[in-house]
Amino acid sequence: MSEDTGIYPELNIEPGSVHPINQTKKYLLDILSSIGFSTINGPEIETEEYNFDMLNIKKTHPARQMHDTFYAQDKEYVLRTHTSPVQIRAMLNNKSPMSFASGGKVYRKDDDATHLPMFHQVEGIHVDESVNFAQLKSLIFQIIYEIFGNEIEIRFRPSYFPFTEPSAEVDILSKDGKWLEILGCGIINPVVLENCNIDSEKFSGLAFGLGVERIAMLKYEVDDIRDFYKSNLDFLKQFN
Amino acid sequence: MKIAYPHLINFFKDKPSIEDVSEKLFQLGHENEIIGNILDIEFTPNRGDCLSLLGLARDLSVFFALDTLPVYYTERLEALNLNFENHATDDCPAISFLSIDIDEIPSKYEDYLESYFTTFQINKNNFFTDISNYLAYEMGQPTHCYDINKFNGNIEFVSDDFNENFETVLEKKITLSGTNCVFKSNNEVINLAGVMGGKSTACTRSTKQVLIECAYFNPESIIGKALKYNLHSDASYKFERGVDPSYQEQTLRRFIKIVSDHTNIKSIKYSSFVSKELPVKTLKFDVKEIEKIIGTNIDEELYKNSIIKLGFTISNNHINVPSYRHDIAHQNDMAEEMARIIGYDNINSTVFKIHKTQAPEESEYENSLRNFLASKGFNEVINMPFSNKTDASIKIDNPLDSNRGYLRTTLKHSLIENLLYNEKRQNESIKLFEISDIYSRKNNGEIENEKYLGIIVSGRVGNNYKEFSKKLDHQYLEEHFGIDKNSIFEIPRDGLDTKIKNKIYMALIKFSNLPKNLENLHNIEVNKISFNTYKPISDFPSSTRDLSFVLSDKNKIKELEEIILNFKSIYLKDSFVFDFYNNEKTNQIKIGFRLIFNSNHKTLTVDDVDNEIDNIVTICMEIGGVEIPGYK
Repeated sequence: MSEDTGIYPELNIEPGSVHPINQTKKYLLDILSSIGFSTINGPEIETEEYNFDMLNIKKTHPARQMHDTFYAQDKEYVLRTHTSPVQIRAMLNNKSPMSFASGGKVYRKDDDATHLPMFHQVEGIHVDESVNFAQLKSLIFQIIYEIFGNEIEIRFRPSYFPFTEPSAEVDILSKDGKWLEILGCGIINPVVLENCNIDSEKFSGLAFGLGVERIAMLKYEVDDIRDFYKSNLDFLKQFN
Repeated sequence: MKIAYPHLINFFKDKPSIEDVSEKLFQLGHENEIIGNILDIEFTPNRGDCLSLLGLARDLSVFFALDTLPVYYTERLEALNLNFENHATDDCPAISFLSIDIDEIPSKYEDYLESYFTTFQINKNNFFTDISNYLAYEMGQPTHCYDINKFNGNIEFVSDDFNENFETVLEKKITLSGTNCVFKSNNEVINLAGVMGGKSTACTRSTKQVLIECAYFNPESIIGKALKYNLHSDASYKFERGVDPSYQEQTLRRFIKIVSDHTNIKSIKYSSFVSKELPVKTLKFDVKEIEKIIGTNIDEELYKNSIIKLGFTISNNHINVPSYRHDIAHQNDMAEEMARIIGYDNINSTVFKIHKTQAPEESEYENSLRNFLASKGFNEVINMPFSNKTDASIKIDNPLDSNRGYLRTTLKHSLIENLLYNEKRQNESIKLFEISDIYSRKNNGEIENEKYLGIIVSGRVGNNYKEFSKKLDHQYLEEHFGIDKNSIFEIPRDGLDTKIKNKIYMALIKFSNLPKNLENLHNIEVNKISFNTYKPISDFPSSTRDLSFVLSDKNKIKELEEIILNFKSIYLKDSFVFDFYNNEKTNQIKIGFRLIFNSNHKTLTVDDVDNEIDNIVTICMEIGGVEIPGYK
C-alpha cells in the first residue's frame, strides 16, 4: 500500500539487467582484483604478431589456420582469438614485477550448438622473480574456491599452450560426478618473456585464462550457450 | 587416436590393467577414454611423437618397464639406383626409398598384422599398403607405396604453384591450386606430399614389385593441405604434427621385416637422400633449474632415469634431446616432463602474495553506466559483430557465410533486430542497450576503434498502472538520461518485418561524448551477484488475459492483489496491475490485472487459459464484495 489514501497497489517497476556474461566477467575480474591483479583492456582486432608470434604460436599451429581464426583485410589483421595479446602489451609496457588481468570478447571460427564465433575470456598474468608452478597451483586453488566454494574438488592435468610451459588444464568435479574443464594455466614460456623484453633469467611468470561463458553456464545452470546471445528479454530479465 | 590395449601391452614386462594404463596416460597429459579394449586418446598437438604404439609405449615407460620391442631387418641394404631429384629440400630435408620384389603375395597375415585390421575393423587394401598402414600405427612414420611398374623410374619432389587435376588413391578427383608439395613422375603429379598418394601409381592386390617412400616433411610446408582438399588421412595428421626426421631407415627396415614375416623377398634395394642433417638439441642437465620452475624438490636420480627412459641421453652434464621430441627446447620443457612424471596433483601448492600493480581500472565508468541503465529498467544485450558490407567496414577474409563477411560499423541494425525479436515474443515494453567497441576502416586503411553506447526503446514505459498507457519516446530518453536530443532519432518502421505500430527510438552515442556525470552514475546501489538458477525460456507464444474487478470495500484490495499476484500455476508466467481507478463519487475501486500465460512444452489453447482464469476467479470471488463486470 502506498500514497495518501493507502489503497494504491504497489508499483510494479521492472528492474533491468546487466548482461549475465558482463556480470560474470566483472565478478571474475573483481576476484582477481581482490587478489592483487590490475585490470587492463586491449583491442579486439589484432595483428598476427601480437595474437600469435609474440605468444610463441608458430605458423604450423592449428589455431593459426583459416578454419580456426578469423583473418581480416587480406590477412593484415586477425580478430583476436584470446585476450593474451592484452597481456603481451602489458608486459611490453610495464616493468616487472607486474600482475594484470584482462577480460573481453574473443573470436574463433566456430558456430555450432556448443561453440560460438564470439565469446568472452578473462585472463591474468603475474611476473616476478622466482614465480613457480607450486605458486600457480596455490593461485588457481584460491580463484576456484572463490568461485565454486572451498568444498569443490579440483584436479590439474598436463596440457599444451605454446605460451606457457609447463601448461595445465584444471577441472572441477561436478555434482553429477563428471570432471569439467574450467581453466587453462601455466608458467609463462621464457620465449614469451624474452619476446616482451623481460629477462627470463631473472624473472618468471604465471598465466591463466577462464572462459566467461563456461563459468556463467555453470553458475546460472544455463545449458545452452546460445541463449546468452538471443537477446531474449524473458532470458535477460532473469539476471537482474 | 585409437590404440588397442592388447597391442600396447605387448611392449611391457608387467602387464598393467587397461585402467592403470588409462590413469597413467591421463597423468602424462593424454586425455583418454576406455571403449572396450580400445584406448581412445586425445594427444596435444605438440606430441606427434606419441602417435604410435611405440611412441606411446615409450612415454609410458617411465611407469611400466619396456620389454618386447619391434624386430627390424638388420642385414646390409643394397643401393637403389633411383632417378630422384629433390627440388625443395627445405620442405623435405630427408627422404628414403626402398624397393622390394617378392615371390608371392601372402594368402593370410601373421596374427599381429591381422589383429590390426580385425581390432579396428579396417578393410584390407593390398599387401604393401596394408603393411604401410600398420607400420604408421606401430611406429608412427607414414610410408607411401608405389607400384614400381606404373611409372618409368624417375621421380621428383617439387614445391610449386599448381593448377592441375589430381586423382587420389581413393579415386577422389581434386584440382590442385596455390603452392603445393608434390611428387611427380614424367611431369604428372603422382602424390600430394604428406597427404595422399595418387591412383595412377597405386599398388593393387597383384603388386609384387613396390617402391616405398619414407620422408620427413617440414610441417609448415604441408599444414592445411588436407583440410583444403578435404583429404584427411592418418599420414597428414602425423606429418602436420611432425614425425621423427631421422627415423626413415629404421622404419623401412621394419617394413622389410614385416614383408619377410609373410613371404619370400627376391630383392631389396635402398637409397637415402638427406639434404640437411638436423642438429641435435642439447640442454644443460640442471636439476636445480627444474626445482626452481616447478617449486618443489626433485630427486636427481628419478629425473635422470626418467628422461633416459623417454629417450634422452645425458653426457658431460648435458641432455641430448631425441630427434622425435620437437616439443623440447628449454628447461621449462624439461620441467614439464618432470612435473608430468611426478603428477601435477602430487605437486604441493605454495602460498604467495601478489602486490597490486598500480594501474588505472579502465572499465569502472563502463560498469557504472551498465548498472545505471539497468537501474532504469534497461536490459543489456550483446550482439555478434558480423554483418553485411558498408563503406567503412572491415572485411573478414574467411567469414562463416556471405551474410557475415564484414564487421558492423554501427550498433543500429543489431539493436533493431533485438527489438523486433522481442516484439514478436509479445513483449510490450522494450528497453535495451548495448555497449561495444566498433571498428571501422579509415580512408588511409588504418583501423579506427570507438566505444559506443546504443539504446533502443519502443512500446509501453512500464508494466504498471502509472506507466502502462505511456509510450516510450525521445522525451523519455532525454528526461531520464540527459541524453542530448540530437543523439536521439526515430527508426521508421517502413521496411521492417513487423505489424506493430509503436514508435521506435534509438540513441547511438560515442563513449567519448557521454557526460561523465550522468545522474547519480556512481551512486547506483549494485547488489552482489547472486547467480540464481535460471529458468529455461519457452519457445511457445504467450497468451494474455485482462481481468478487471470492481470493489466497493477498499479493505479487500490488498487481499485481491495478494491472491492474483502470488497465484501459483504451471501456466501463469507473469501478472501485474495495469489499471487502477478510485471513483470517490461512487466509492468504488476499479482494478485491472494483466495475466500472461505460457508453457515451455506447447502452445496453450483457449481452454487451457480459460481453466486457469476460472481457477483464479473462483478464488477471488470467495473474498466477497468483488465483482467482474461482464464475466460470464
